[in-house]
Amino acid sequence: MPAVASVTFEVRDKEFVALVGPSGCGKSTVLNMIAGLVGPSAGEIRLDGRQPAGIPPEVGYVFQKDTVFPWRTVSRNIALGLEYRGVPAAERERRVEDAVRLVGLEGFEEAFPATLSGGMRQRVALMRTLVVEPEILLMDEPFGALDTHTKLRLQAQLLALWLARRQTVIFVTHDLAEAITLADRIIVLTSRPGRVKLIHEVKLPRPRDVIRIRETEEYAREFGGLWHVLGEEFAKADEGR
Amino acid sequence: MSPRAPIHLWRAGILLVTLALWEGLTHPAITKSVSRVAYFIDPFFISRPSAIWARFWHLNSAAVRVPLWELLLSTLESTAIGFAVGVSTGFVAGLILGRNERLALILGPYIVAVNSLPRIALVPLVTMIFGFGLAAKVVLAWLIVFFIVFFNTFQGARSVDPDLIHSARFLGASERQVMRTVVVPSALAWTFASLTPSVSFALIGVVIGEFIGGESGGGIGYLIIASLGTLNAADMMVALIVLAATGIALAIGIRQLEARLLRWRPEYQSRA
Repeated sequence: MPAVASVTFEVRDKEFVALVGPSGCGKSTVLNMIAGLVGPSAGEIRLDGRQPAGIPPEVGYVFQKDTVFPWRTVSRNIALGLEYRGVPAAERERRVEDAVRLVGLEGFEEAFPATLSGGMRQRVALMRTLVVEPEILLMDEPFGALDTHTKLRLQAQLLALWLARRQTVIFVTHDLAEAITLADRIIVLTSRPGRVKLIHEVKLPRPRDVIRIRETEEYAREFGGLWHVLGEEFAKADEGR
Repeated sequence: MSPRAPIHLWRAGILLVTLALWEGLTHPAITKSVSRVAYFIDPFFISRPSAIWARFWHLNSAAVRVPLWELLLSTLESTAIGFAVGVSTGFVAGLILGRNERLALILGPYIVAVNSLPRIALVPLVTMIFGFGLAAKVVLAWLIVFFIVFFNTFQGARSVDPDLIHSARFLGASERQVMRTVVVPSALAWTFASLTPSVSFALIGVVIGEFIGGESGGGIGYLIIASLGTLNAADMMVALIVLAATGIALAIGIRQLEARLLRWRPEYQSRA
């Protein structure tokens, strides 16, 4: 059985889209196709009308898995993309310093990842991607492995960074609360093989406070409506197991 | 008292008891009766600590034609060159084959075939080709070290986490940059695991070469063979002890280099 059956959706420029669905519904596969890591067996991906061959240069990708290079310090990890692009050392240093400050990693610049917590490592991974200023940011359950407290802090940091720079974001998650908190639109996929079940516009004002927003009525309404739809798919995914 | 102190005490105790037994059992007054139980407990075969100590100083003095430290230097020189050449060629070959599936498939059987040859069987051939001097000793050390480092690096280069490579690509890395910033550092951890055994094996290769090489080859191995010729157990013991000490010193050196270059590894980190 294929992971993805038929998925069609469009993402607007500078939009924050969340891709939600039960595990195994092909969310990550869709993301990897956009990223050029796997080719679709049928159909096409278009970026600004073009069909990219391989990994498109304007795309940044943050994995769920820890992909910080263990043999590089925090600042040398963040500098990677700038190094690859041949950015001169002085400018590299300045941009890395800014990035470190933006996510509160001051004092850990020379630390190796082995000494950091999972949340700190994921912040390094995020800044390593953002420091090269990608136009499109793909995130595959980037906060999935973190505890609730760390997760909320990172969501808040991500929102602040996104408001400041406004990349187009496609964010994969199976956490509906996370999707509502972060996204402009939520694309709900069905259980395997994935299809688009529903595309939902999140009508919550920005800037959003990741904690307080959960206490509002509008949030409760968004959550209640979507949970009903998503709940069906989670149940189906469970039966399929 | 530090928690390590009892360990050190035990170690010193074992050494002292061994030396005392050795010296005592080979004493002229009792060695006749002891050697009736085990013939080799006799200074003729195993010498005595006091005699070994005396010979150690004699062999280092001007009384001998080639002093001990010069023999040691010759052994160290061959070992160092053989080790360096073996590690660098093994590393490069391991990287190339580790990242090139097709080449690895083609060359696989040949590598296994050459590696399964007992290295000592090659000694006569190497001697025929390279003579009795430095070159032959280096080649023997290289033949052993190359394969150890090669297989480790090969494994390391193949087991690089593909997601790390993808991450590098997303950050804009070229093929060369992926090699330099992902494959090499990640394979190095595997390579280093092979360096401690490699340095001992390099020493083995060199000593075998010196057994064959004779006086023109020199080295500690030559001292061992020469002592066999004159049935001089004390000199042989001096050579063995010097070799053991050399092996330990080299292993410590490698460990320190490793701790420096792999300081990012969790086992070398004190948690923050």
